[in-house]
Amino acid sequence: MQKRVVFRSRLLPYLLVLPQIAITVIFFFWPSYQAIESSFFIEDAFGFSREWVGLQNYFELFDDPGYLKSFRTTLIFGVSVAFLAMSIALGLAVAANRVVKAATGYRTLLIWPYAVAPALAGVMWYFMMNPSLGIVAYWLRSLGVDWNHYLNGDQALLLVIVAAAWKQISYNFLFFLAGLQSIPKSMLEAAAIDRAGPVRRFWTIVFPLLTPTTFFLLVVNLVYAFFDTFSLIHATTEGGPVDATSVLVFRVYNTGFIGQDYGSSAAQSVILMALVIGMTFVQFRYVERKVQY
Amino acid sequence: MATLSIKSLGKTYPGNVTAVQDVDVEIADGEFIVLVGPSGCGKSTILRMIAGLEAITTGDLHIDGERVNDREPGDRNIAMVFQNYALYPHMSVRKNMEYGLKNEGLPKPEIAKRIEEASRTLRLEEYLDRKPRQLSGGQRQRVAMGRAIVRDPKVFLFDEPLSNLDAKLRTQLRAELKALHHRLGATFIYVTHDQVEAMSLADRIIIMNAGRVEQIGTPMDLYLRPATRFVADFIGSPAMNFIEGTVGEDRRSLAINGTQVLNMGQELPARAGAQVAMGMRPEHLGDAGGADIQVSLQVSFVEQLGADTVVHGNLSGGAQPLAVRLHGVHASEPGSEIALGCGMGHVHLFDTATGARLN
Ligand SMILES: Nc1ncnc2c1ncn2[C@@H]1O[C@H](COP(=O)(O)OP(=O)(O)O)[C@@H](O)[C@H]1O
Ligand SMILES: [Mg+2]
Repeated sequence: MQKRVVFRSRLLPYLLVLPQIAITVIFFFWPSYQAIESSFFIEDAFGFSREWVGLQNYFELFDDPGYLKSFRTTLIFGVSVAFLAMSIALGLAVAANRVVKAATGYRTLLIWPYAVAPALAGVMWYFMMNPSLGIVAYWLRSLGVDWNHYLNGDQALLLVIVAAAWKQISYNFLFFLAGLQSIPKSMLEAAAIDRAGPVRRFWTIVFPLLTPTTFFLLVVNLVYAFFDTFSLIHATTEGGPVDATSVLVFRVYNTGFIGQDYGSSAAQSVILMALVIGMTFVQFRYVERKVQY
Repeated sequence: MATLSIKSLGKTYPGNVTAVQDVDVEIADGEFIVLVGPSGCGKSTILRMIAGLEAITTGDLHIDGERVNDREPGDRNIAMVFQNYALYPHMSVRKNMEYGLKNEGLPKPEIAKRIEEASRTLRLEEYLDRKPRQLSGGQRQRVAMGRAIVRDPKVFLFDEPLSNLDAKLRTQLRAELKALHHRLGATFIYVTHDQVEAMSLADRIIIMNAGRVEQIGTPMDLYLRPATRFVADFIGSPAMNFIEGTVGEDRRSLAINGTQVLNMGQELPARAGAQVAMGMRPEHLGDAGGADIQVSLQVSFVEQLGADTVVHGNLSGGAQPLAVRLHGVHASEPGSEIALGCGMGHVHLFDTATGARLN
């Protein structure tokens, strides 16, 4: 049987993919090209003149201790968000998987945070943690923790990590639950007969079988934390205090729109772009080859 | 090696589904027991209660004289082979077999020795480093078996272990399983819905219907003296013929459809006017000459199997189906009639209402 569609006209297939190509070109390729181009120029704040400077914008970035610190902050932020969001989601999924009947209701409840807009999530956490009127800050103080993320950079970072992770838990939960439900019950029963207790069963059977899911989620969570948390940080800490929570995406915005240094901002986005491409590449390569059994 | 004692065992699943009721059986050390019955009759449920995978609702289970109702599956000294094998897909064949032994904390040399022995027995040596997905169905089945053997359990439990294989492999593995049982001398409890498997493997068969035991006995007990009509119908292929009728006034005849009267030649163990079903196996019908019971078969179609010929049709003058198995090759035209006879010794008489055996 011939499964491929054969078009009579040569033009039609191109016409059919044209809208998709147009969208990709206009909204992805063109801005990317512009960013790459701008990163080679120094432009005045009003866009009247610009001067070709080659790689100078890039060199300056890597000489800037602020930028290098932002790299470090992003790494800490990304890894913490991914770890927190994934481990909590896995715990919840394991619990939900035990009560298969109630799972649908439970699942619906757990999906809600994902539907909350990032900025709103930021504002919500901002209020809860606000040193003067936040309920959580109040509880913390009664526990003897002096919470003030306006002054304490570490606390500010912790706040955005928790807020960002909270947003991502439901997404991870759904994938983990689906992964858990695809593990045949008889396999765990066989392990029980093989004298493995519940904890051992989890670490030697369940967790390894979830590897493809875990790896996929790791990449998704890192991409989310690195590139998709701008509005959340903007609504909560605005990168501060000083630049304690100024992750790379936030810095792109700050340099470009606040500092009006378009060249440097463009160079930063090109670096981010390279990071995304790199991570996507890793994901495709590993999900397809290495992480299977 | 162990004895099992099952006393008034019952299982009710949540939602008030009673899957198993009042099962009583004593299993001797080294016996090969087969649980057989149609799908959904509760075979797996019994096996899973023995394994400890399903809580026992009522009754007691003793292994080697010890009550094990509340023991964890891992502490019952049993091993189980699942229908889908339940191999650990991320582990090599060797790791699959080692898993239980490591959990038991056996020393490494002992583990290596057991794996070597088992893989030799099961001809798995070449495959030890492969993953389950790189094996054929029959090889996976043997790995599942190996995983059970290395544990050296007192009782082996099998839940339809051959049902995912093709017919030829099934026959071959059946023979291997029988040989394995002979060599290990352990107690085997084996679940199947296939009566041929049950007959060829079992020392004793437990035949179940709708959660209850119909009969427990050797394959020949079940074949020669089925205790109920259900057993008579389930065991044997092609299935037993049943002719239903009313016992005559003289208790020596059977009235079929109110019109036809079948002469039985001797007194029936049933009162006059009783509704009974007379069972005769297709292979026990033969030459009419001088037989106790004489019937006539109107042929509708013929199955030529080579060694045998199975002729299907109806009892002449009625709608009751009848089949006969004739030795060798026979040509019978549809529509023709064959005169057949059966000795009283091969007749099984059942109460139509209760299904209980009468003779
Ligand atoms: N976990 C369960 N919950 C509710 N009912 C079940 C469950 N497992 C089996 N049953 C029911 O119990 C009966 C016996 O099932 P089972 O022992 O699996 O039968 P078999 O193995 O003989 O085919 C069936 O009617 C089945 O629907
Ligand atoms: Mg079953």
